[in-house]
Amino acid sequence: MLAMNPTLLVGPADWNAARMPKAEFVARAGALWRDIPSATGVIVYGDRVNHAELAYLTNFTPKLEAALALIPRDGTPQLLVGGGVNMLPAARSLTFIEELRPLRNVGKTVAEWARAHGGGAPVLIGSAFMPYGFHQEIAAALASGVKDKTAELRRLMGRKSARELAVLREACAALDATVAAMRAAQGSGAGATAAVLAGEQAANRRGAQDIRTLFSLDGGRTLRPFEALVERAVDPLQVYVAVRQLGYWAEGFAVLATSPQPCAERAGDVLRRAVARTQAGERCGEIARGIAQAGHPPHPVTARVAGNAIGLAIEEHPLIVAGCEARIEPGGVYGLRVGLSDQRGHAIVSAMVAVHEQGNEVLWSSPEAA
Amino acid sequence: MTFDERLAAIRASMIGHKLEALVAIHDGAHFIETPNPVFVLSGFKSLGPAAVVLARDGEASLIVTPAWDVERAAACCPGLRVIAADDVVDALESACSSHRSRGGKLGIAGLAATRWDIAGRVTEVVPQASAADDIVFDAAAAKTVEEIAHAREATRIAELGYARLVEIARPGMSEDELALELKWHTKTLGAEDNFLLLCAGPRNPAVAPSNGHVMQRGDVLVAEITPSYRGQLAQICRTATLGPANAELKRKYELLVRAMNAGIQAARPGAPMASVCRAINTVLEAEGYGEYCHPPHIRRRGHGLGFGSIRPGDVSLDNNTVLTEGMVFMIHPNQHLPETGYLLCGEPVLVTARGAEPLTQQRSALVEIGL
Repeated sequence: MLAMNPTLLVGPADWNAARMPKAEFVARAGALWRDIPSATGVIVYGDRVNHAELAYLTNFTPKLEAALALIPRDGTPQLLVGGGVNMLPAARSLTFIEELRPLRNVGKTVAEWARAHGGGAPVLIGSAFMPYGFHQEIAAALASGVKDKTAELRRLMGRKSARELAVLREACAALDATVAAMRAAQGSGAGATAAVLAGEQAANRRGAQDIRTLFSLDGGRTLRPFEALVERAVDPLQVYVAVRQLGYWAEGFAVLATSPQPCAERAGDVLRRAVARTQAGERCGEIARGIAQAGHPPHPVTARVAGNAIGLAIEEHPLIVAGCEARIEPGGVYGLRVGLSDQRGHAIVSAMVAVHEQGNEVLWSSPEAA
Repeated sequence: MTFDERLAAIRASMIGHKLEALVAIHDGAHFIETPNPVFVLSGFKSLGPAAVVLARDGEASLIVTPAWDVERAAACCPGLRVIAADDVVDALESACSSHRSRGGKLGIAGLAATRWDIAGRVTEVVPQASAADDIVFDAAAAKTVEEIAHAREATRIAELGYARLVEIARPGMSEDELALELKWHTKTLGAEDNFLLLCAGPRNPAVAPSNGHVMQRGDVLVAEITPSYRGQLAQICRTATLGPANAELKRKYELLVRAMNAGIQAARPGAPMASVCRAINTVLEAEGYGEYCHPPHIRRRGHGLGFGSIRPGDVSLDNNTVLTEGMVFMIHPNQHLPETGYLLCGEPVLVTARGAEPLTQQRSALVEIGL
């Protein structure tokens, strides 16, 4: 789900070698080399909005300016960090990569690096996220026809390791604490933004790396980001929360209310059936179709996309949308959401599901769907 | 200046450039250094990619993604035709079709900073469009009355945020913990975002994003606190010590305050921005720090404040923008000195007929946090 992108990332992003050792990153790169045997190296772009691929291979979260990892098939990886040489000391604790340099003269730098590492065929990852001018400079500097292999890497990212799953469980626990704090504040009569902020503070105090929220002032009909303080209490208060812990996101919807919400309960019923269907081998399009048929009329927020894979990005591929032929993969973690909206009320509920070879496991769900 | 007067100025400039319509594009990645032409033309801060199509003599359309955010956009922009879209480029193609069929000349703003997967497609939709960034951002060099009010409020929040920092910063706390608490606190005061650079150490090489470094007694804590209030940023640059400051640090900080005051004094209508930078440098050069007034030690002495336009640009020797009333920008002689490391000292100012008015209630002074 899309929420407002902050101008700077504030929150703990240091590399935690005990939780995600270097060997894990080395294994990821090894798997990538097996998938793209002709590549002599990869050039990985990330910025503060889009950096899941960069974090997957380097642990680095660009908090301020963009970064570029140059990872040769053979040799030492480098990380080029935006902002000049004075930014390097602060960046060093965010990655296991030891060779850090300022990101400047990007075209010349990548061309020289490509020549030094086999000459011919590095591939790009994350090129779609590069600013227009940046992309043009890199494209001009490298041999014509340089390929983007983001999709190949994303396939690897889709299957979570045991360590990743452990972190995702922590993120879901933080999500749970966040929603609980919001519920407690709303239940005690706090204003709309005060209730949301109570949850955000709870996440911060659990060491969350980031938190994004949306909420509704009209009983769940529409969602909005925080724009200004809203002092009036809202009941029911529909919220969307995304919490990031050690790089990994958990997200969820909840209807905070002091009285029963039939619409949320109906949505919860639909969600439970969708969760049961989220099994290895199932087509994403079929899950979306099942939700669309049972969850009618749909909420505008969930009408087009009923879920997605989730991990280092809030929205990873595949998307749970009508017609999607991609299959649910064992090892994948998915967010599912069901929204209903009609004259009787509005509600969105959701769940996070880890899919195993046999069966699945609900990592978090809206209370209405528990 | 009002929003409508700014829009009229942009339309007048379009006539001068013989533009039939102007396309503004933004990918939703809001950043202090990246101007946002969609925000300038609509006042709307989007969740996702967004665009505005401004006809020279007709209506203006705002394309907003995700589609479900359309009601918020419509409430924000009652004078614009708001189009809900799942794909900004598809919607843009449709919105531009009538202008293209008339064969009129189109301008485009915001393309260079837009992510490639959107920007590349936009160039196919409007292949002949000429760069029109200056048309949009020149007209937004001075803030509107509303933006100035928002900058004042953002400054008020920044000062309260700094008071909170002084209250809670302690040895044993990590930079990340302090930054998170401050960001949260400024949100409770009404700031929807905060460009918050914060770090600490015995001798900082620069100001950088916070990390897990645990602060120690004697550290020098530097912070750029930059809340955004309704899309308008304002910044204060501050330095504090965890425990008593030594005499040399106090002397050097006073030097920076004098340099900043000289810069504020020099900022008046009709003066080129370069003269503000020169005034700051002159104070430092007189104390023997001439070599520290240039790269790699320093590249600017302040900057504009978005999220819309970041004009009048950097406070630098090569910026000859002539200052006019209504401009809002930062003056910060933030400086690395060999004896102290990097120190922060700066205020947001509004250019008025009488000169530069700092928006802060209290100007920067070295604070010693009692432990």
